[in-house]
Amino acid sequence: MTQEHPVGDPPALRVEAVRKSYGPNAVLKGIDFELRSGEIAAVLGENGAGKSTLARVLAGSIQPDSGSLSLGGRPVQFASPRDALRAGVAFIPQELIYIPDLSVAENICLGNLRGSRYFSTPGRILRQAAETARRFDIELPLRMPIARAPLAVRQKVEILKALGRDSRVLILDEPTAALTNDESDALLELTASLARRGLAVLYISHRLDEVKKLCRTAHVLRDGLLVATHAVADTPVRTLVAEMLGREPTPPDRSTAAPADDGAPGLALRGVSCPSTVDSVEAVALTVGPHEVVTVYGRRGSGADTLAECLGGLHREATGTFELFGRRHRIFRTPRAARVARVAYVPAERKTQGLLLKTDIATNLTQFIWTKLGVLGVLTGRAERRRSRALIQRFGVRCRAPGQAVGDLSGGNQQKVMIASRLAGDPVAAVLHEPTRGVDIGARGEIHGLLHRVAERGVPILIVTSDIEEATTIGDRLLIMRGGRIVDRIDRPSLADQAYALQTAGGDSE
Amino acid sequence: MSDAPRTDELPDVETVPDRAPRRGPRLGQQADVAIQGVFLSAFLVAIIVYFANRADNFLTADNGITILATAAVIGIVSIGQVTTIISGGFDLSVSGVVPIGSVLYALLLNDGVSIPAALGLVLLTGCAVGLVNGFVITVMGVNPLIATLGTMSIAGGVALTLAKGVSIPFDDVDADALTRESLWGVPNHVWILLGLGVLVFGLLRFTVYGRQLYAVGGSPEASRLAGMRTRVVTSGAYVLSGTLAALAGAIISSQLLTGVAGAGSDSALQSIAAVVLGGAALTGGVGGITGTFVGVIILATLSNGMAILQVPSFYQQIATGAVLLVAVALSRLTQTLRNR
Repeated sequence: MTQEHPVGDPPALRVEAVRKSYGPNAVLKGIDFELRSGEIAAVLGENGAGKSTLARVLAGSIQPDSGSLSLGGRPVQFASPRDALRAGVAFIPQELIYIPDLSVAENICLGNLRGSRYFSTPGRILRQAAETARRFDIELPLRMPIARAPLAVRQKVEILKALGRDSRVLILDEPTAALTNDESDALLELTASLARRGLAVLYISHRLDEVKKLCRTAHVLRDGLLVATHAVADTPVRTLVAEMLGREPTPPDRSTAAPADDGAPGLALRGVSCPSTVDSVEAVALTVGPHEVVTVYGRRGSGADTLAECLGGLHREATGTFELFGRRHRIFRTPRAARVARVAYVPAERKTQGLLLKTDIATNLTQFIWTKLGVLGVLTGRAERRRSRALIQRFGVRCRAPGQAVGDLSGGNQQKVMIASRLAGDPVAAVLHEPTRGVDIGARGEIHGLLHRVAERGVPILIVTSDIEEATTIGDRLLIMRGGRIVDRIDRPSLADQAYALQTAGGDSE
Repeated sequence: MSDAPRTDELPDVETVPDRAPRRGPRLGQQADVAIQGVFLSAFLVAIIVYFANRADNFLTADNGITILATAAVIGIVSIGQVTTIISGGFDLSVSGVVPIGSVLYALLLNDGVSIPAALGLVLLTGCAVGLVNGFVITVMGVNPLIATLGTMSIAGGVALTLAKGVSIPFDDVDADALTRESLWGVPNHVWILLGLGVLVFGLLRFTVYGRQLYAVGGSPEASRLAGMRTRVVTSGAYVLSGTLAALAGAIISSQLLTGVAGAGSDSALQSIAAVVLGGAALTGGVGGITGTFVGVIILATLSNGMAILQVPSFYQQIATGAVLLVAVALSRLTQTLRNR
């Protein structure tokens, strides 16, 4: 797979026969590839294909069982992330690490202050950070406390932190998963410009449009093996997807028959408003039929996020009413009210809002039906595990046992667990906020198929998303929000409507 | 999976057999707790063997009962304490509630109140302090450290005021029903300890409330968004802790036949030490009764063994602290190794 290169021109990074197993599970089964300076190479693969493990081996946070790495022709061994950083490999994980109370500038210089070893002054830090930022043409609010800065800024800080140490290899792990479209574009541009300066970039992603735009080569991982390496420009997307999945992709399973929409809608919002400094909602009305999947698309600041949160009971100040199969409710002011009305709400942030991360899969899956499973508040682990197994099967969660810690699962499977837990209690309606954020293509398709099957059983489903592809592909109807209002609707949207939807949603996302 | 049969139509889950191994691999955080449990039990066995070698009268049934009897007070407090620690906080106020329980029990008995009625009033008082803690922490949003530090001080002061600064000997020297020996020569308060242990074990393991407590302690935000009554759940832990602390106070009085305003004023630190020794995490969501019991027994065995070997009591204090630090450091180490 690797080609011969002239001796005088060693690759920036060479990976040879790298293997890694956890107990009996072989995660990496002998990976070989090369990365040259100035090259941006994508690593593609489904959840569990070994992408993250590979990245962590390269970043020194885990050690391979066998195999070797070399940088610029020199063999290296990393005992820790610190070693890797020193040698010039920078890894930007999905979950960023920063010190929330420090400013942007201080975070950039963290652990890498020039000058005296023990002393520094705020002015000096600011100058050093500004200099680093200028060197790479990145504009940043240097004095802002990092906790208040948007995710896109925090990511740039992380990248600068790495570049400040003169890295030669940059590894990005699904960097755009949680960014808005504008932010993603900016990040892609930045990455490209860094590559032009000679940096070798390994880009781990499942967003094929980005890979198409950005990368020269693509390595496809499946089940711990590197199954193919392609020049991106000459390879159709369909081929890449087929190789990732190990089969031809199938369109999401969805009934094309028009839903029988006679009489009362399942879910009907009337004049829902919620004040907010950045994302207010103004008198939104919408209806979702009993067998329908409706998507709401809006950029950041359009009010779409707040609208979803209102339906989950996250905004005490929300006003308005809605009808649920003919019964009138006031808009929820507490999450408990949503639960009592049996409206399932799947929040946007699975780690902080959705999952009980310290517990196992069974606990997470059954958290909404404990009372039902038990007799007078007494329930056994056995009943819980049994119901969990049924849910694991129904929602296609890939795991070893219901007792496995939920934090050990891949992002896609965690997402499935979160969605399954909300749908386990047979809700009357479901509201999903960014249901496939940070989830790879395979799991994404499964989740979408699942939602359609739930809708077919008569549960109205409302999906609020900032992902244009999701918005235009899965819904029976697409509503576009802008400035707190619903400004347009597209019935039976398709990918072809993307450009129109983007334009309607507007560029007013700061 | 899209071409799979319509597995979504499985409202009747009874059709799915309970086929996977019931004792599946225990993984994740549970495994860490299990590892620490093995370490702790090994440590307990080691000190028992050590003391048994050094002193003939250590490994006897009588001394076993003595250890349990001395452990009972801290044990009962720790059973309450572990619930507050699982909820993500802790309860310092037990150091004030135990004295109140002790003094109030003596005063009520001396006023001619019957033992069950006196006990009931004492428990209600503890329950009330717990409610205050719960309210201050969950509704007013005060950090548990500050909140229970405050109530500890207030409760301790109230105990001193009630006692007017002196000990209150029982008028009726036969009013030791709580601590009298009963079945198999085991005193009543040891039975109470064991009974409460089983009850709260069941509460944590087999009830909806127990699940919610772990959920709220481990992921407060996710639990709130899931529509759990997080305030009620958390407050419940403080109510339990307060009630059990007051009971512990009554037991001390019954042992000494005297109400003492200084009784058990170290119970906050002792119980937190036992609970943490037993594998609970101060970050919440982790911990259990079994571990807590082992923690309590280790501390009690250490002090009993050293007393038999006539080690001065201030060394015992040092040993307790050292054991706590070493045990917790070891468990951190095993976690780090496991996660490599």
